[in-house]
Amino acid sequence: MATLRKIAIVGSARIPFCRSYSGYTSETNLSMLAAAIGGLAEAYNLRGKAVDEVMGGAVISHSRDFNLAREAALDAGLSPRTPGTSLQIACGTSLQAALSLGAKIASGEIDSAIACGTDTVSDSPIVFGSKFQHRLSDLNRARTPKDKLGAFSGFSFGELTPVAPSTQEPRTGLSMGEHCELMAKQWGISRQEQDELALKSHLNAAKAYDDGFHDDLVVPFAGVLRDNNVRADTSIEKMATMKPAFDRSSGKGTLTAANSTPLTDGAAAVLLASEDWAKASGLPVLAYLSYGQVAANDFAHGDGLLMAPTQAVSRMLQRAGLTLQDFDLYEIHEAFAAQVLSTLKAWEDAEYCKNVLGRDAAMGAIDRAKLNPKGSSLAYGHPFAATGARILGLAAKQLATEMKNRALISVCTAGGQGVTAILERAA
Amino acid sequence: MAQPQMPAATNWRFDVDFERIAWLTIDTPSSPVNTLSRIAITELETIILRVEDLIASGEVVGLVIQSGKDSGFIAGADVSEFDAMSDPAILPEALKRAHAVLDRIEKLKAPVVAAIHGFALGGGLELALACAYRIAVNDDKTRVGFPEVNLGIFPGFGGTGRSIRQAGPVAAMQMMLTGRMLKAGAARGMGLVDKLVRHRDMLHWEARKAVQQHRHSTPAPLIQRAMAWGPIRQQIVTRMRAETSKKAPKSHYPAPHALIDLFEAHGDDWRAMVEHEADGFVPLMATDAARNLRRVFFISESLKKQGLRGAEKPVFRRVHVIGAGVMGGDIAAWCALRGLGVTLQDLDMERIQPALDRAKKLFKKRLKGRTEVASAVARLEADPTGKGVARADVIIEAVVENLEIKKKILAEVENKARPDAIIATNTSSIALEKIAEGMRDTSRLIGLHFFNPVAQLPLVEVIRSGYNVDADVAKGASFALAIGKSPVLVKSAPGFLVNRVLMPYILAAVERVDKGENKELLDAAAVAFGMPMGPIELLDTVGLDVGASVAKELGHSVPDISKFAALLRDKKLGRKSGEGFYKWVDGKAQKGPVPENSDLAGLGRQLVKPLVDMTETVVGEGVVASADLADIGVILGTGFAPFLGGPMQARKEGKA
Repeated sequence: MATLRKIAIVGSARIPFCRSYSGYTSETNLSMLAAAIGGLAEAYNLRGKAVDEVMGGAVISHSRDFNLAREAALDAGLSPRTPGTSLQIACGTSLQAALSLGAKIASGEIDSAIACGTDTVSDSPIVFGSKFQHRLSDLNRARTPKDKLGAFSGFSFGELTPVAPSTQEPRTGLSMGEHCELMAKQWGISRQEQDELALKSHLNAAKAYDDGFHDDLVVPFAGVLRDNNVRADTSIEKMATMKPAFDRSSGKGTLTAANSTPLTDGAAAVLLASEDWAKASGLPVLAYLSYGQVAANDFAHGDGLLMAPTQAVSRMLQRAGLTLQDFDLYEIHEAFAAQVLSTLKAWEDAEYCKNVLGRDAAMGAIDRAKLNPKGSSLAYGHPFAATGARILGLAAKQLATEMKNRALISVCTAGGQGVTAILERAA
Repeated sequence: MAQPQMPAATNWRFDVDFERIAWLTIDTPSSPVNTLSRIAITELETIILRVEDLIASGEVVGLVIQSGKDSGFIAGADVSEFDAMSDPAILPEALKRAHAVLDRIEKLKAPVVAAIHGFALGGGLELALACAYRIAVNDDKTRVGFPEVNLGIFPGFGGTGRSIRQAGPVAAMQMMLTGRMLKAGAARGMGLVDKLVRHRDMLHWEARKAVQQHRHSTPAPLIQRAMAWGPIRQQIVTRMRAETSKKAPKSHYPAPHALIDLFEAHGDDWRAMVEHEADGFVPLMATDAARNLRRVFFISESLKKQGLRGAEKPVFRRVHVIGAGVMGGDIAAWCALRGLGVTLQDLDMERIQPALDRAKKLFKKRLKGRTEVASAVARLEADPTGKGVARADVIIEAVVENLEIKKKILAEVENKARPDAIIATNTSSIALEKIAEGMRDTSRLIGLHFFNPVAQLPLVEVIRSGYNVDADVAKGASFALAIGKSPVLVKSAPGFLVNRVLMPYILAAVERVDKGENKELLDAAAVAFGMPMGPIELLDTVGLDVGASVAKELGHSVPDISKFAALLRDKKLGRKSGEGFYKWVDGKAQKGPVPENSDLAGLGRQLVKPLVDMTETVVGEGVVASADLADIGVILGTGFAPFLGGPMQARKEGKA
């Protein structure tokens, strides 16, 4: 077997993230994803050129968005000879795409690739309920007037009530926020801690903007130049006035709109390559994608819904022979402040590390100054499938420009799963 | 498969695919845009003759006309041929041939489809209208329209009648009279286009389907066509004449009036309108107005070449404006409207807020949806601490006209700005060299002189100081172009171009008023000559204080005993204070009746003389590089009679 090749991260591009129903009300997943890939193509001179593979997707998608990755690659002006594959693992979509593409680069199957993701709630598909939908298919198949009429026997107008996509877990019927509220209670995460994390995220993100850190990461789209959820002017006092968003009745709810991510529209893309390809194309290598790991837990029977990253990271570190403290940068996706804090607490908990992660001792604490230093999803917002690519691009640039050697990336997803990765500084 | 034998053509490619659909692709040689030149039309004639045979023999089942260029379908006829073509000895014959080709296309015995992306203007749209069915890409680049009136003519390849057939008389006439360009959705709504597709890739497939399904566009509904019948038409004609005369009096701009005449005679029968089109068109082509407007068109086009091009063409994303007064605030608002990120700096929010409020009004007026307005508002940021300087691509200083303050601000800016950022001042009266003296690198400062109201006046004077090199001002011109303004390069000299030529004209008129002449008469005379407004109203509009300070800077004096000085003392500053020479109500000057005068235009010519004299002086001094640039600068900056071709041209032709 041939030796594995290094997976280079060349760069990333994303469109500004907008709170749903704001800047992108007339956009679609396709237009947004094409803009993100187009931004990448512009920055790295890929217009009209074939990239070996584009992979990515959306969590909430229309049936018309049939193979979104392929259509977006075409719309973005890449060569029509660029294959595209759509995939989906909720909020881990674009990071999972990067891991899959990375494996193909490592094995020599491909030399260049784009991992990407997009999501919009402003343009979510609204469909008929299954009863009416079956009637329509029956009607379509019916040949005689009698059959056609028959398709509507027993019809009631209630069937016409449209069904919007839901963020509830299909298996538990609880929303993500309700699940995370349970995690916060289980791990004893206070409201104060959550608000502080959220505030830090906003301030860090606002500073990154003012420093111009995003100038070559974010491409203008639809007249929007920057994320509209980042608030430089927020404060602990303002956050303290928010009411619990998920546990509204017990008086013990700690998750609020301020320490949870808002519904967000946006798209992001990352250019991956073999070292040789990057060199031959005259493109930089920001970082190497060195490890990846996906894990899932038994959330329907007791595990916290968003705790699977603890397992993925543990396993990945064992494979890499690293400890949790061997990193200069931790990019942990902030679905909810409570999710990040529960994860950190679990790693510090000897009992959890022993029982759930199968370790002899606790993995320990991390240096909080190294956690999401440019802010994360609480500030930028969280267009589900785009978040992994946003984090990957942000982490790679930090390694390249801030003399950091190693980054840990962790993204929790619906369905009790987690996608994680390790980046190493190039040269 | 074997291609049918085709005559050689330099402008067209012709292919027949295995489904026997013929694809006719226009690709004008060595030009970024397609135009219907005389050769292109002659070649089209031969191709269509051949297509007729191929259809008759069954070798071709349908024809699709498309463009091989990214820039779009067809930008129109070739304007560079117009001077030669305007000869009444050859024009009618050439028109007849073009009409005949389009008629043949219309009568082809197979489906004919126009597949449009980008520009489909003038002759290009007329060709498309001769096709049985039109498909266009529904994106921001698609533009459909008849800009002919801007060149002193109207559509001449049958577009008058055919657009009325498709869009109905009211909408079609309005489009032709204003020269307005439509986006894809509006063109579809009007019936000029039958079908929209999302992406250019889809054009081919939709066209194929249209051929196979024998699709044929339907004319405007009866209710619309009825507007061209009998007495209704007469009413519409009367209204159109009145509206048109307000903006384009017949004596100055004969084209729209000739189009209305044509409509009046044949508006109810599109075929007759097409047939008689040439009767009105031929004389128009030879008018002085058309000739001068063509010249203005070419000079305007040449302005685009002043910026950096190709790989050097800069991308502008962020602008930092210092000074949130009228000019600074409005420059900032304009840049944000045009999609740039803007930080607007002043001492405190109290000073910035009024500019933000004004900007919001502008956005609401110019942008459609709430989302678009909200995004524009988000693009314009108040920045009391000046943090935007470090990240800006362009920094524009627009604070009070005080040398020391400007020097201090720009020296600070130079320390914080990126080395490749443009640093510009909007000063209208201080020599650039003096301001630049405070900077380490004196060559960094250029002037970007905007005009009030920024949102309406297209001109930006790009000022070159003695320290600048070509690339400095070229970059400034690139920026002006990027925000949709027309740059004219001017050397740093008091008053630059526009203010310098306006001042003697305004002051001479003010002096006449002092001597007892009627201000309404003077203003009416200037308008009769071809100015957009008279000199007294203009002074009221820019503000008497501004006028006085520019006058002083240019070494003119305002005598204490004059009415001008008295009004200034009384703080009657013009429109902004509610009273100047005129009283102003709701932004309109309250004018008395204009006294009888047998030669208004002659009086107007006398009034304008100082302006024309000064333009000659400015050109003589080399403040602008050429008479052409002086003409376009004065036209864009003052509205000086475009149909006369600008002051230098008018003088050359003995008309000013």
